[in-house]
Amino acid sequence: MSTLDYFEVESTDPIGRDQYHRLASVVIGDHGLIGVLKKIHIYIDPEIPIFVATGITRKLLHEIRVSDIGSVSHENGHVTISIGEETYFAALLQMLWDRFGKDLVNQPDRFTILMDLDEKVAETLSDLVVIDPTESLYKDLIYSLQVICPEGFKVRKQSFSEGKFFFVASEDTLDEDVMPLVREKFALMGEQG
Amino acid sequence: MILEPITYKGGVYRHDEILDLIEDLGGYIIQKHLIAQDVILQALIPRADIALLQTIARPLAGEVKTAPLVGTEIAVVSMSLEIHHLPHASCDVAEYLRTEGAKTNMIGLARGFGKRIALMNEEERNIINEHDCAIYLLGNFESCIKKKMPVLRRGIHVPIIVCGAPNRETLMQIIDPPVDGYVGGIGRFMHRTKEADEIAKLDDIISEVAQVLDRKRAAIAKDPLSVSPARLMDVIMAEISAIRYVTSPIPVVVQMDGLRVKLSFDQYAEEVRNTKIEEGVSVRKVADVLPSRMRDYILIKIRPFSETGVKV
Repeated sequence: MSTLDYFEVESTDPIGRDQYHRLASVVIGDHGLIGVLKKIHIYIDPEIPIFVATGITRKLLHEIRVSDIGSVSHENGHVTISIGEETYFAALLQMLWDRFGKDLVNQPDRFTILMDLDEKVAETLSDLVVIDPTESLYKDLIYSLQVICPEGFKVRKQSFSEGKFFFVASEDTLDEDVMPLVREKFALMGEQG
Repeated sequence: MILEPITYKGGVYRHDEILDLIEDLGGYIIQKHLIAQDVILQALIPRADIALLQTIARPLAGEVKTAPLVGTEIAVVSMSLEIHHLPHASCDVAEYLRTEGAKTNMIGLARGFGKRIALMNEEERNIINEHDCAIYLLGNFESCIKKKMPVLRRGIHVPIIVCGAPNRETLMQIIDPPVDGYVGGIGRFMHRTKEADEIAKLDDIISEVAQVLDRKRAAIAKDPLSVSPARLMDVIMAEISAIRYVTSPIPVVVQMDGLRVKLSFDQYAEEVRNTKIEEGVSVRKVADVLPSRMRDYILIKIRPFSETGVKV
């Protein structure tokens, strides 16, 4: 966990804290989140009981747009996409099908897509987002925190925005406003919640 | 004659001589594994003849060692079958016990997790009670273990060994009334046990279980069983032809005071009850043939000599 700028587990039970420190580092590593997380603070109080995880992610990879996958040319609404990067081809096709319908998306060969679109739409086509890495990151992050969190802590609140996240869970009903506690844990990392 | 549980590890070449010898000595083969060119036998043999077996096994490059868990069926109780507990630590513990000769069954509780919300239902309780002992794999926090243990032990009458992250002394202090065994320093974790200190912890579980089972053996010896479970296994394997068609790797599981026969209770219970062990002694006379809560298997619990007045 040396690549994290801050990694602390806080608990009222010292043995439990050490165990959870090891457990959290294994889970974060196994889920490939070491390079993504910058800071994480985990607080567990088994007496209440409550589990709070707060953290900051590093600057994420940029979104994958149509122009990253292939070159787009258009003339009088006749659009041609020549594929250069096949890795994201399936996602590109799916996005085009969802947006324009399968009837409008023609694929005469493996590396070419032809479409007839409105001229204005054709001009903005190359800027359309195909893959947003933050979506899968959010899912991975929440899943790994669910795995770290003691089992049975089914009542939870979570949030992830602008590189900051928190995850609060308990087996009892949570306080309506968990933000003071979350802000307190962010402050321990030297951040504002 | 005191039978000692052993494991034999050797090659396939001439291993039939070892099988014959164990039978000639009056021992019983509980399980035989053929893995490529290797043979692993789990057997019970007379204590006095272990040296003889070792002498005969030496030229065959066979290794004989005592294995106190052979002939026992142990419940490894996990608080759930979620990723929080599987495959580590539950599978690691169950697998390690198997290497020492025990037959382990992993029991994942439906609602064993949590502190206030932990529960155990009647079916889970009955299944655990069919085993020789139960290993409870608990978590990392002292207060959770203290709070949930009374619920998890209610109605369990087989010996319980508790594993948890707090040290052994703390576990002994917080669990009241006491259970039969404690292993500290092994709570919930998410990695494979492969480092020396972790293997040492698994060895601690083995020695704790062995001690608990030794105490149970001593208690059984005070009022011996009417028939040895291993002998009854031999009789069932020989007399009930349907057992040969059971595809399970262990069709008859030997326990310390009984057997689990993997045949349908409704179809075969009467046949098992009427099976003759010796002239004039049927299974019905020396044992209770009961329906198991595990699938539709048959559970045989052998009655002690004081109840039957018979010793075969």
